[in-house]
Amino acid sequence: MDAFPIPAESFILGFIGAGKMAESIAKGVAKSGVLPPDRICTAVHSNLKRRDAFESIGVKVLSDNNAVVEYSDVVVFSVKPQVVKDVAMQIRPLLSRKKLLVSVAAGVKLKDLQVCSVGVVGCRFIRVMPNTPSAVGEAATVMSLGGTATEEDGELIGKLFGSVGKIWRADEKLFDAITGLSGSGPAYIFLAIEALADGGVAAGLPRELALGLASQTVLGAASMVTKSGKHPGQLKDDVASPGGTTIAGIHELEKSGFRGILMNAVVAAAKRSRELS
Amino acid sequence: MDAFPIPAESFILGFIGAGKMAESIAKGVAKSGVLPPDRICTAVHSNLKRRDAFESIGVKVLSDNNAVVEYSDVVVFSVKPQVVKDVAMQIRPLLSRKKLLVSVAAGVKLKDLQEWTGHSRFIRVMPNTPSAVGEAATVMSLGGTATEEDGELIGKLFGSVGKIWRADEKLFDAITGLSGPAYIFLAIEALADGGVAAGLPRELALGLASQTVLGAASMVTKSGKHPGQLKDDVASPGGTTIAGIHELEKSGFRGILMNAVVAAAKRSRELS
Repeated sequence: MDAFPIPAESFILGFIGAGKMAESIAKGVAKSGVLPPDRICTAVHSNLKRRDAFESIGVKVLSDNNAVVEYSDVVVFSVKPQVVKDVAMQIRPLLSRKKLLVSVAAGVKLKDLQVCSVGVVGCRFIRVMPNTPSAVGEAATVMSLGGTATEEDGELIGKLFGSVGKIWRADEKLFDAITGLSGSGPAYIFLAIEALADGGVAAGLPRELALGLASQTVLGAASMVTKSGKHPGQLKDDVASPGGTTIAGIHELEKSGFRGILMNAVVAAAKRSRELS
Repeated sequence: MDAFPIPAESFILGFIGAGKMAESIAKGVAKSGVLPPDRICTAVHSNLKRRDAFESIGVKVLSDNNAVVEYSDVVVFSVKPQVVKDVAMQIRPLLSRKKLLVSVAAGVKLKDLQEWTGHSRFIRVMPNTPSAVGEAATVMSLGGTATEEDGELIGKLFGSVGKIWRADEKLFDAITGLSGPAYIFLAIEALADGGVAAGLPRELALGLASQTVLGAASMVTKSGKHPGQLKDDVASPGGTTIAGIHELEKSGFRGILMNAVVAAAKRSRELS
């Protein structure tokens, strides 16, 4: 039973930590119309560029983190993981059951965040793991509800992060595997795009054309998977005509274990995530 | 000097061949506002589903290909490669210098198109499958007496279903080898399998895999940064990303993708 639902039509969203992630989310939220920018706030100490970045979106820039916490209903910790604990302890006196806390700090667990709630009954937390493409509005984000966060809290955060991409819910114990896939995954694709472009150059294309085609082809292929709802194996079957160019290319990939190599990358990154936690 | 420019504000676009490619382009063009659907036409023989598909976009469905050619200023050949020659010979008497012809038929060269139609104002266009979702990687090559303005017009039309570049026709085999989406379908399945191996349920793994690939490609197309620089930006010291990258590099991941592009380009040359 939610005694203090976040008021959907009037809630204020505050960011502690005015970095790139906060900027991406604030931009996405404002641009998609999910929240008008004047219901978003943050604090910037001295860096004028960061102040400008937020003010140019229409976000209120307050004097310090305490002001952000007092003013906001939903408070996002978007500081570097190393300083989360200090920030959490500092704002603890200002917390109440009425506020929803969200952390996007990589590797910081819900139980670590719970240090906030010592002495504050019913603290509501959601841990959110977005990935780098939040910056271009195509994030793959996963959230995990902690403490006494409610279903409605989850839906609200789902809406906010849905404005910078797609979002799923999962148990926190899956977060290492998720790191290996959506956290580190963009890098594997940067390598793939470079390699496809190199292949194009090897086949005779000028570099600029090869790189443009490579990145657009990858974008188009992923769009087909996300929009068609078809299995990627089915999509592959649909385009690989008998004795054609596509199946010749696929044959090269299969004979060299392309798919197994990508699996290895995800598994290794997930394992490293566990080691680091 | 262009004696007969296509009238930009009033030209009619016609499709010979009312298949999926024509539908994707017609939808994209209408949806993006580049052309109102009532300035687009095609012909459907008997297949009611195809008729409905076009009429539901607002496209005029005429009685036959001859009507399409007579009515249109820009005529797109979107029939299967095997029937292009017959269609070309059939409409030949109806052509004039005022019309711009466009072919999207895979593997059919400009010199053949020009010979069969007796018409030299041609643009050959090679879109790829993601035209269907508005994210095509398309390349065009201007032939014969097609003008720069013709090229810009076609660039606008195909720009409504994705991105378009110009290139010499001699590069088309290499482009075929590169712009196939199938390698990425395999990659997405493999990333999802990796996620499942690491403990994720299938549906979550597949959703994350496809969205991650989409996001990464968006970063390359939108940031204008080199993919190697983007990789450097995200691979922090001793972190999870560089551990994953190490697996890829030690197994020659990039070389394997190069092999695929080169092999497909070679096969394209063999088939031409």
